Amino acid sequence: MPIDAKVVHQVAALSRLEVDPAEEGRFVQELQAILAYVEQLQALDVSGIEPTSQVGAGEKTPLREDVVIPSDVRDEALAQAPDRDGDYFRVPRVV
Amino acid sequence: MSPEIVAQETAESIGRAVQSRERSAVDVARTFLDRAERTASRLGTYLHRDPAATLAMAADVDARLGAGETLGPLAGVPVALKDNLCAHGVPTTCGSRILEGYRPPYDASVVIRLRDAGAVFTGKTNCDEFAMGSSTENSAYHPTRNPWDLERVPGGSSGGSAATVAALEAPLALGSDTGGSVRQPAAFCGVYGLKPTYGAVSRYGLVAFASSLDQIGPLARTARDTALLYNAICGRDERDMTSRAEAKPIPVEDLERGVRGMKLGIPRDLTAEGLDPEIRASLDGVAKALAEEGAEILDVTLPHARYSIATYYLIAPAEASSNLARYDGVRYGFRAKSEDLRSMYEATRGQGFGREVRRRILLGTYALSAGYYDAYYLRAMKVRTLIRKDFSDALERADAILLPTTPTPPFKLGEKVDDPLAMYLNDVFSIPASLAGAPALSFPTGMTRSGLPIGMQLVGRPFAEGTLLRIARTWERRNPDGLRVPPLAEGRA
Repeated sequence: MPIDAKVVHQVAALSRLEVDPAEEGRFVQELQAILAYVEQLQALDVSGIEPTSQVGAGEKTPLREDVVIPSDVRDEALAQAPDRDGDYFRVPRVV
Repeated sequence: MSPEIVAQETAESIGRAVQSRERSAVDVARTFLDRAERTASRLGTYLHRDPAATLAMAADVDARLGAGETLGPLAGVPVALKDNLCAHGVPTTCGSRILEGYRPPYDASVVIRLRDAGAVFTGKTNCDEFAMGSSTENSAYHPTRNPWDLERVPGGSSGGSAATVAALEAPLALGSDTGGSVRQPAAFCGVYGLKPTYGAVSRYGLVAFASSLDQIGPLARTARDTALLYNAICGRDERDMTSRAEAKPIPVEDLERGVRGMKLGIPRDLTAEGLDPEIRASLDGVAKALAEEGAEILDVTLPHARYSIATYYLIAPAEASSNLARYDGVRYGFRAKSEDLRSMYEATRGQGFGREVRRRILLGTYALSAGYYDAYYLRAMKVRTLIRKDFSDALERADAILLPTTPTPPFKLGEKVDDPLAMYLNDVFSIPASLAGAPALSFPTGMTRSGLPIGMQLVGRPFAEGTLLRIARTWERRNPDGLRVPPLAEGRA
């Protein structure tokens, strides 16, 4: 349960987030304070209560017709690439 | 600047003058661009302005009217867009380095609707990075200052949108509200800010933060103007499956019908402690005035609302950690240099996101991770159900709930930015309605003795935005504070 430097590292790795060692202590401290605050929820009896993932989630979702709608933004989308090779996004070597 | 001149510059009067061709859209655009030229850099209201593009949009509106096209009430009306709303080809950063240089290849649905309505965009307003914050100090570019006191924050995360409307740089703005990001800056800057019912406005093209909570909402200087902007953007959109047809435009004349016979509930349990005395006095004053107008004031309770902040700061970071996974440096925005793919992801995200965003990603990932999911995220979703029920129970007895928007007047820059929990606690009155998905309006109700704006909040039943605006309009008719202008906008400071 308690957050320490090791947990911050694990979570940062899961999040693909580089954490500067100089910031680590402050993250630990801030996350501890926030988790200590949210601890108050443990005092509530929530047995038998359905979770709300989204308001209106139980209602019928209106669906559109299943037809193809052209979306002609390929060139503009590719133009945003930090690095590209023709019609491909280029990334550092994977294998 | 006399109050009469300011009153003529409501969105409503501007739109009417442009529609009837008494005034050109270009002339209107020039007036507001000139004001922004004088104050925007001191206030830090914008991240991107392009006066030539604004004037070209205005000229196009004049041409459409000249060709006989009928445009609605927003014809030629300048509107500022929060920088997390996509507009085709216009830089959209969300106040983040990770999106520096990004130009969306498409328009948000609200942007399409506003273009069709003949609105003219003044630029992209500053905000806390990815809308995470309550002061606009988390922008990676620069802070925004409160037009009423440059040493104080405008609120956040839609601080630039609220400040630009308060300073008369634009009559209208759009913001986004996840836990209070339209309402709290509206209160801090002395303007109106509406968070519509969850599902009332399409979020297509709004950069996602916490998708079960995010809503786009209008900021304006009068109740009627707030309705006009809401009317232009509400309703079903096939590109956002959560958007709903029940969200209908509000007949603006209905706002004049008063509050006789309406029931207003005040949640005394939630407002019992920690309230600034001048804000408490304003709450009591507004309740008394509305009672004199014929409303019945009653006490209601929201017994679980005090758990809202804890609930929100599990749910919102959890959703954010998932939504922000898309920023990987591959397809757009910033990419850090690195030798292999995994370290490229980590370095891009580590360097591209600011501290607040990284902390929330870490917190959200933790709350969702194996072993903690049930204790944190699942439990928070169950408490959310209890909070929703509090609101539906209270709103069976009352037509609307009246409470302050914030516990204190605007605080100083730097005062809370290093203490995340203190910053979060400032959202105590705005977060409950977000969790309930209920419509909520902040409206200006006066000033503190030291000259800072105070805002009250109305929360209503689903899709009852019109009721909230009608109540606020009743107050506004008695106290035209919505038209107050900060000295800076009058050129006196």
